Amino acid sequence: MATRTTSYKDSSERIPFYRNVKTIGILAQIIFAVAVIAGAFIIYRNVATALTRSSLPADFSFLDSRAGIPIAETPIRYNPNDNYLKAFTIGVLNTLKVALVGVLLTSLLGVFIGVMRLSNNWILRQIATVYVETIRNTPLAVQIVFWFTAVLTPLPPRSLNPIELPGGALLSNLGLAIPWTYPSYSFSAWLPWLIVALLLFVLVFGFRRRQILLSERPGNPWLPAFIVALLVAGAGYFIAAGGSSLPTNIASEVRATSGVATVFIDANQNGRKDNDEAIVPFAAAEVSLSQGFLEAQTQELTESRQIIYSTFRFPPIKEKEFAQAQVSFVDPEASQGLSIYFENFPSEGVVYRDLNGNGSFDRGEETNTSGTRVSGYSAKLRLEVTDFKRRIVADRNGQIRIPRFSAEPAAEQESAGANISPAQLFAVPAPSEEALQLEVNIDLKESAPLVMSYPSIPIGPYFGGISLSTNYLALLLALIIYTASFIAEIVRAGIQAVPKGQTEAAKALGLSGYQIFSLIVFPQALRIILPPMISQYLNLTKNSSLAPLAAYAELFAISIIIANQTGASVPVTIMIILAYLIISLTFALVLNIVNARIALVER
Amino acid sequence: MVVTAGSTRADAPAGGDKIIEIADLNKWYGDFHVLKDINASVNKGEVVVVIGPSGSGKSTLIRCINRLEEHQEGKIVVDGVELTDDVRKIDQIRRETGMVFQSFNLFPHLTVMENITLAPIRVRKWKKSKAEERAMYFLEKVGIPEQARKYPGQLSGGQQQRVAIARALTMEPKVMLFDEPTSALDPEVIGEVLEVMVNLAKEGMTMVVVTHEMGFAREVGDRVIFMDQGQIVEVGTPEHFFSNPQEERTRSFLSKIL
Amino acid sequence: MAIARKPPVNTHGPIAWMRQNLFSSLANSIISLVTIILLLWAGVGLVRWIFFEAVWGQVWINLKLFAVYRYPADLLWRPLSIAALIMLLLGLTAGGSSPSGGEIIRGVFWWVLSLVIGLNLIALITWESVRWWWTLVSVASLVGFVLGRAQPRLLRTLPWLWGASLPIGLLLLIGVAPEGGLRSVDTREWGGFMLTLILSGVGIGVSFPLGIALALGRRSQLPAIKYFSIGFIEIVRGAPLITWLFIASLMVPLIFNISPDRIGALQRALVAITLFSAAYMAENVRGGLQAVAKGQSEAARALGLSGWQTMRLIVLPQALRAVIPAIVGQAIGLFKDTSLVFIVGLFDFFNIQNIVANQPGSLQVPGGIRLELSLFLALVYWFFAFRMSVASRQLEKQLGVGIR
Ligand SMILES: Nc1ncnc2c1ncn2[C@@H]1O[C@H](COP(=O)(O)OP(=O)(O)O)[C@@H](O)[C@H]1O
Ligand SMILES: [Mg+2]
Repeated sequence: MATRTTSYKDSSERIPFYRNVKTIGILAQIIFAVAVIAGAFIIYRNVATALTRSSLPADFSFLDSRAGIPIAETPIRYNPNDNYLKAFTIGVLNTLKVALVGVLLTSLLGVFIGVMRLSNNWILRQIATVYVETIRNTPLAVQIVFWFTAVLTPLPPRSLNPIELPGGALLSNLGLAIPWTYPSYSFSAWLPWLIVALLLFVLVFGFRRRQILLSERPGNPWLPAFIVALLVAGAGYFIAAGGSSLPTNIASEVRATSGVATVFIDANQNGRKDNDEAIVPFAAAEVSLSQGFLEAQTQELTESRQIIYSTFRFPPIKEKEFAQAQVSFVDPEASQGLSIYFENFPSEGVVYRDLNGNGSFDRGEETNTSGTRVSGYSAKLRLEVTDFKRRIVADRNGQIRIPRFSAEPAAEQESAGANISPAQLFAVPAPSEEALQLEVNIDLKESAPLVMSYPSIPIGPYFGGISLSTNYLALLLALIIYTASFIAEIVRAGIQAVPKGQTEAAKALGLSGYQIFSLIVFPQALRIILPPMISQYLNLTKNSSLAPLAAYAELFAISIIIANQTGASVPVTIMIILAYLIISLTFALVLNIVNARIALVER
Repeated sequence: MVVTAGSTRADAPAGGDKIIEIADLNKWYGDFHVLKDINASVNKGEVVVVIGPSGSGKSTLIRCINRLEEHQEGKIVVDGVELTDDVRKIDQIRRETGMVFQSFNLFPHLTVMENITLAPIRVRKWKKSKAEERAMYFLEKVGIPEQARKYPGQLSGGQQQRVAIARALTMEPKVMLFDEPTSALDPEVIGEVLEVMVNLAKEGMTMVVVTHEMGFAREVGDRVIFMDQGQIVEVGTPEHFFSNPQEERTRSFLSKIL
Repeated sequence: MAIARKPPVNTHGPIAWMRQNLFSSLANSIISLVTIILLLWAGVGLVRWIFFEAVWGQVWINLKLFAVYRYPADLLWRPLSIAALIMLLLGLTAGGSSPSGGEIIRGVFWWVLSLVIGLNLIALITWESVRWWWTLVSVASLVGFVLGRAQPRLLRTLPWLWGASLPIGLLLLIGVAPEGGLRSVDTREWGGFMLTLILSGVGIGVSFPLGIALALGRRSQLPAIKYFSIGFIEIVRGAPLITWLFIASLMVPLIFNISPDRIGALQRALVAITLFSAAYMAENVRGGLQAVAKGQSEAARALGLSGWQTMRLIVLPQALRAVIPAIVGQAIGLFKDTSLVFIVGLFDFFNIQNIVANQPGSLQVPGGIRLELSLFLALVYWFFAFRMSVASRQLEKQLGVGIR
């Protein structure tokens, strides 16, 4: 027996350190840590020497210097004289602008396609399947370039005659402009009503919820609260609209050289806008003009695969906006034998020579084949309008813009020739100063607290409504469509993952179809859908960094410019990584909260 | 005995108050003829046990009774209401029939109490307090009142199935349909579920039970229907099946499960 | 006995099918009709555009650019013989895999082979200089397949062959001699689809071991290693690939303290792609490791295997098998994402379009040829990505069945 006890090891026996699991672990860590630190040090030293050698900025002090980066789309005021930090902030805001709208729209589209994949209609199912399988197997970059270079940029260069979409939206290679509501001067009269409505909403909601709780029946506290709030807000809206009158001393000043008027409070009543006088944004007005004219030169335009010769375009004017309009040749001598055909009276058409003498325009008659090469007719046209009237809402700067009418014959302009770039299309000849004795009348209208501003094109860019550039649209469309293909799969899988037995049990209990969906299927599907959906939202946000492909100035695109201008590689790298880490961590946080809230209790 | 083409009739004893009547019922899944000329009826208070090999159409039959499956030919009348495409009638019949599934089908995102009171509140429009009170009554009846605030995922299979029974009962149905309620359970908890069902039968509930628990059939079953290949093959009292089943198919089936 | 009757309503034939799937209700009928009309309208428009309005000539004459960018025309036999080598290996793998397990890889093989043979035919007709090299690719594929069929034992050496093909291929592309047929070719001349494949191949190939190491690191008991791995994985995954590509192009010269023109854009891009891919690979592998039951490693340890042996022989094989579909998915993602290397000035398949679009011949086409280019690119990417995603789904199914 004694021999057996001796065979047990003494637990206090010393183990050589290289055989001790604990010391091995510590040793390994030390070696690893030393390696990592050494690596980091070498990198640091290399970077530091490289930076000193090339004398590039190594800290963030450059952020305060003038950026000089022109950015087309800025959610907040910005000009190239602002500093780099401001430019970067604009980038961050632009990222948010595309991400938030994108997340919202991609959810709608994705859910729609996902439900379509479960439809009992074979065609819808097939369409949804084809959508998912093509879109998610094509690189996002290809899709962005497709939307940007192949769809939006080649839209007819109709800065002057855009495609009119239903509802008053305008689409052209300038982008999309959609009608938008803005708060007018009387909004402040409505504000108290809005606050009351909000309070009532909370009150009614609380009251109804108590009532429902006491009555012990299922009920919806949201609906009555919503209705009451809506009624109060609505009533207040009309009272505010009826009771308010234009602010005293409101006036407008026309600076006809630029075709622009400014609405402002004429405090000293001198009829001019002085520097200390406040502008009035979003004022509704009716602009009228007894007589005026515009001039335009014929161009060659390319639309899809066709060159359209001898086209002329004036800023779009609708038929109901004038009493009389007439388009004629400025130089009848030079335009002998030419006629005018309108595609869209009075602002768009072609000049042609009635070769077959049938008195009307036929294809081919707009080309001038007399020379050696095919070209259009070069002619200058004048659009004369009487009693022009346009209802228009001033922009946030209190400005109103209409086409730049002239009152007297404009000074002769250099002929621009036939090859005019789209950009030059905007350049309607600027009338000389003395020619501008225009009787432009601006009649400011009383308006409700909210005014609907419709986009129009005075000249060049859009005016009114809200405009989205082709850059933004291309990126947004591609992101929405691409991400939706993933969301559709998530939604489909989520709904399919709810066992059939759940629906059957609910049916057996007598629940209605809507109740089954809203009380049984949807809450369970949501638990499965939400987490992967949130990570798709994160993907969309991260993918917005492909913006350079559409020349949209979001955070990464601006970072590239900053890095290229300043050479501040290290600080810019840190800024990019930090910005995206913050975005990722925010999403991770949301995901964790959601996960915690929706977790099913299991044994 | 001569082998008949077509199903045997499974009529309820005359003189009873018929609550389920099924006449010339035929059903197809695509081209597959799953129920063939079924004629059967059930009296109020009767307990009918349906047995038969797997795939013989037992589930399909009782799922037709509350329109979880649609039939193509024949007539089903429950409590005087004929099942047609009329949504109102379907709803009415579903309100009056309770169903217990093999896989429980409790709603995992709702507590036991919410599972039970959901339909009474939403469909029967009861007040919550009444629904909860009735729910507690039935939970006590199935022996698990203390589990009311838990989620289904926290209960054992036997407990879950008892909740499912309480859930169906709280709607105060006139007929209870059971589709193999004990088949997914561990052997040691089958007893607790059967006990609940036996008590229910003794209290006079009308029940149609698909099960292979012949002990249950013998204890409370009024009639046993044997189905095979979509037909009713033999009908009789439990004793009939234990002592002298007539059909060869019945005998071979019983020899396998007993 | 039971007599089955036919159902009262017809369940066969196109009429019944249409009734069930298209016209089951009034609303459904309307939806079906409207969508059919819209589809016809869109289809006719598309067909008309593709066959009558589109100008494909510019794409056609630039196919060499799309394939290899500026890789010297007289050296095209080099990328083509690598293609032959890879097709040989693919054929071997497809031919040698077991009848049941090899279905998926064979499907992929035939899919790629049909493309190769299609290109071979075109080459025979019009591309004189590479005519026989394309034929070599086709022949190599078939030889590989037949060989694999005949000698399934070769399958065991395949992992080594595949592993060796990467350095061999790269070496052949770079070139070894100062001049002649094996003269070296600057990576600045590389591009096109060849570059896309190199970036995806190297990215996945190199990130695979790195990813495994990071995954193991993340599960390590040793805090230093664990937190380093976590930090690396999460930071890298936190920012998008395109930003890492840009950062690599800024920082790699600084980190190695060398002048920017001494390290090409390709190398910088490879660094970014590989590290980025490794972080995602690590997460995939970690998912696989978690899926391996704890009992497996306990059983192995109980048998006396060391920790390292347990990992290498028991846990990793199971984990990696389980994550094959995820890795294929990642490969698809990377294949699509290589298009982002435009940001460092590389001309991969995607970026070639900007060269082609700005050629005088393209600018002469009224309206430009951007639409043609987009569709061509989308089609090529889709051809591969879609087939891989089908394979990934098949794998998932097969593995799921295998595990159960
Ligand atoms: N939804 C369905 N579609 C097609 N066939 C089905 C469906 N449900 C059940 N079946 C078939 O109908 C037959 C009867 O099924 P079921 O009523 O579940 O049998 P039991 O409950 O007796 O085992 C089986 O052959 C089964 O395969
Ligand atoms: Mg069954």
